[in-house]
Amino acid sequence: MTTTATEPRIDGQKTKTPSRKGSLIVRWMTSTDHKTIGYLYLITSFAFFLFGGVLAVLMRLELLSPGMQFMSHEQFNQMFTMHGTIMLLMFATPLFVGFSNVIMPLQIGAPDVAFPRLNLFSYYLFLFGSLIVISGFLTPGGAASFGWFAYTPLSDAVRSPGLGGDLWVLGLIMSGLGTILGSVNFITTGLCMRAPGLTMFRMSIFTWNTLLTSILVLLAFPVLTGALVALGADRIVGAQVYGPEHGGAILWQHLFWFFGHPEVYIIALPFFGIVTEVLPVFSRKPIFGYKSLVAATIAIAGLSMTVWAHHMFATGAVLLPFFSFMTFLIAVPTGVKFFNWAGTMWRGQLSFETPMLFTLGFMVTFLFGGLTGVLLGSPPIDFHVTDSYFVVAHFHYVVFGTVVFAMFAGFYFWWPKMTGKKLNETIGKIQFWLLFLGFHGTFLVQHWLGAAGFPRRYADYLPDDGFTALNQISSISSFVLAASTLIFFWNMYVTAKKAPMVEVNDPWGHGCSLEWVTSCPPPPHNFTSLPRIRSERPAFDLHHPHAAAPGAVAAGAEK
Amino acid sequence: MSPTRQENRRSTLRRWAPRGAALAVLGLAATGCASNDLTRLGMPEPITEQAERVLSLWQGSWLTAFAVGILVWGLIIWSVIFHRKRSEQLPPQVRYNMPIEALYTVLPIVIISVLFFFTAREQAYLMDTDKPADVHVEVVAFQWAWQFNYMDDTKENGGEVLFSEVGTPNPDGTADPETQTTLYLPENSSVHFDLYSPDVIHSFWIPEFGFKLDVVPGRDNAFQADITGGTEGHYIGRCAELCGVDHSRMLFNVEVMPQDEFDEWAQRQEQNAAAAGEADEPADLEEIEEIDE
Amino acid sequence: MKTQAYLFMGISTFFAVVAGVYMFWARQDHGAVEWVGATVLVVAIGFGWMMGWWLWQAARRSEHFHGLPAEERLDGEIAENAGEYGFFSPYSWWPLFVALSVAFGVVGVAVGWWMALLGAFAIILTTIGWVFEYYRKEFQH
Repeated sequence: MTTTATEPRIDGQKTKTPSRKGSLIVRWMTSTDHKTIGYLYLITSFAFFLFGGVLAVLMRLELLSPGMQFMSHEQFNQMFTMHGTIMLLMFATPLFVGFSNVIMPLQIGAPDVAFPRLNLFSYYLFLFGSLIVISGFLTPGGAASFGWFAYTPLSDAVRSPGLGGDLWVLGLIMSGLGTILGSVNFITTGLCMRAPGLTMFRMSIFTWNTLLTSILVLLAFPVLTGALVALGADRIVGAQVYGPEHGGAILWQHLFWFFGHPEVYIIALPFFGIVTEVLPVFSRKPIFGYKSLVAATIAIAGLSMTVWAHHMFATGAVLLPFFSFMTFLIAVPTGVKFFNWAGTMWRGQLSFETPMLFTLGFMVTFLFGGLTGVLLGSPPIDFHVTDSYFVVAHFHYVVFGTVVFAMFAGFYFWWPKMTGKKLNETIGKIQFWLLFLGFHGTFLVQHWLGAAGFPRRYADYLPDDGFTALNQISSISSFVLAASTLIFFWNMYVTAKKAPMVEVNDPWGHGCSLEWVTSCPPPPHNFTSLPRIRSERPAFDLHHPHAAAPGAVAAGAEK
Repeated sequence: MSPTRQENRRSTLRRWAPRGAALAVLGLAATGCASNDLTRLGMPEPITEQAERVLSLWQGSWLTAFAVGILVWGLIIWSVIFHRKRSEQLPPQVRYNMPIEALYTVLPIVIISVLFFFTAREQAYLMDTDKPADVHVEVVAFQWAWQFNYMDDTKENGGEVLFSEVGTPNPDGTADPETQTTLYLPENSSVHFDLYSPDVIHSFWIPEFGFKLDVVPGRDNAFQADITGGTEGHYIGRCAELCGVDHSRMLFNVEVMPQDEFDEWAQRQEQNAAAAGEADEPADLEEIEEIDE
Repeated sequence: MKTQAYLFMGISTFFAVVAGVYMFWARQDHGAVEWVGATVLVVAIGFGWMMGWWLWQAARRSEHFHGLPAEERLDGEIAENAGEYGFFSPYSWWPLFVALSVAFGVVGVAVGWWMALLGAFAIILTTIGWVFEYYRKEFQH
């Protein structure tokens, strides 16, 4: 076993740790440890996930039958606006930051991220910014109700007056700044703090994806910030940036989607990374085609910046063939990813622990979302189904398929690393099947609804539209979906109460990247020793020397 | 349980799984040719020539998508069934296979190129507005109702309003389409639509057209639809872009009628409009438009 | 570090190609360049080259004096990173204070300018506190 006993000397460690009678809360509030900040991110974004989920269930209740049940139209508009905003910018994006914070420094053998205080600052910007957005519900006029993409002129001060809209704009500027700073941190960490021998092409795919996602954030979020500042100026001080007389309606859409489309990949790539970490472990094989997978991810990152206007086909104001071709092109690297995943499983020794189940659930679900995505990339088809429930179904397959399925895969996979205890497998499997069936029941039927003519963001439909039956299937399944989340809480409770502590570094037995060579949970500053790194799975090489990459086990070393 | 029996069962499954999959693809392909509710894959019965083109592109794309889907799902399910963990021995640690990786990079490129060819062809056809049309309608979408100005020519060619169907926003009422305006169209005719919005973005969608176009303030959008024969009947159109509180009540009726009935109706409307005099509503609206622009 | 530099340069070179094609194609089809998308694409080129160029320069200089760093070499050994690794703040209150000031100022923009001004003032004060945190008291170095 080739490890060195030299522990990186940390200046901060020499100074005494806070010794005042600080409670756990104070320690967490002021922590600069990347793991603690990561947990803060994960917990906060999961709380927002629950809030957004409650809004979704309320909407599904409203749509259970024709006629307005218990909401006003205005309230319904607030619900879907905040549901979209929360799920994308307060759940999925910070969830990426959370996972990357906890896992990425571990995977590159670093003691922390490059800028620990900046890391905590990013978290607070995200937290306060998000609370400012949500606080719109407490204002007399209610929260923002112009849809999460806030098309002008609907979102201007004349058509959507009120404090709720202003808070939405300002809060998002603030939390967006937090995301940008978080990405700066990840890029610096990934570029400068890798362990010796861990070259770029030995980084785990999750780390690669974190890096590329961070680059996308740096490209996309400043555009959103700029666009929002201008929108805020229009709303608050009466500027005329988005006046429709001089094409402001289309200007906003260009700027918004130049952020909005990369945003979809910002919340997809890290979760592709999670499933790519899970698959080899439970297939007992290395990733199939590591380099083509990295190349595919770079290609997706690049292409995702050049397809923004496929959200605007129906405006009649964009260059259709260009954007449709670029959109189709994204299908190629995404296909490569799929075949690499399938190739990783092919002829493996598959076992189906809960993380693997969620990963398979992701693959099955996301594939369908990807296929409908190619259809939507074709303008003649897009004209018919855009802004209908078909699109709603499509992006839930894509986004829920990646973010939520991969999130649970990641939770189950890294729970022992984060808390020292394995989540309960039986409850996990029950949760998976409820989530899987609930999800597909909710969203599969929405494809038909949309193609048949049900527009999205409708608070109501008519009894003779023929939309009732499918809406009811969708609504009832969504309650099953919601219930599956409660099971996760039960699982966390049972695990915390009863599960034994994990004694080994790698409870799954075939872990690949460096987080599996340190204890569960890791000590402060992460590692007491590191193995020699000679492939993209140093932990596997260490624990399975007979199958290790050449050079990973030093000649003459014992074991 | 003897190991041989298990082996047998596995090999039968192995033999039959691909055949079953092939049969499913074939069945799907066969049903794709007839046109009924199922094979339209959720799309409504088309009433324009454009919608028919969209429908066949829709069906063709879905067939391709299903083929790709069945292949990939098949690979996943195959490994889930046949490549389960059987022993503690590690499987061969295969890291890459260049020819296969190249193959599955090139193959999607071929598929999307074919798809792009059809897409480009159909979209050029759908966006074509240069053909002479029989009926010219200016659609005015406002919060939250529709107005249809029947014109003697396209707006681009300086068409004049002949008469109008004006809707009233009905925020406190029901979404009952009987309270909304109706767009009357003749069968077997080519209709030119000019879209105009004085306030926020709306979207003009008649699902049976298989087409929608945003009504953007400050922007002149137009499209044409060739109504086919045998489509007489009543349809519903909807606003498809969030436009405020009563977005979901912004509906309109579409009445497709035989040519002679339509002519009769149009003549009556024109006479009514003439009788109503100069200070008519549509004229006012035109003036407002002028100022806006 | 040159790999990373090439990554940034490569992505932005791709944007340059796309921006060119996009502007040309739009001119052919619509008779006019669509300036919003073209501008943001060009800005993205600048961003990538800025990062890439800086990384490339830094890598060139550092490799000239120190050779390839251990994390860039296929045969890097863990022991090479022994010794002083860097300074990591053990805990800090300042991020919370700065973020609270930012939140106060941001809400101020919506509520009233007096509040935004107070917020701006608080941001300046707390930022000073953050910057000079390790120049004072027990952490002084």
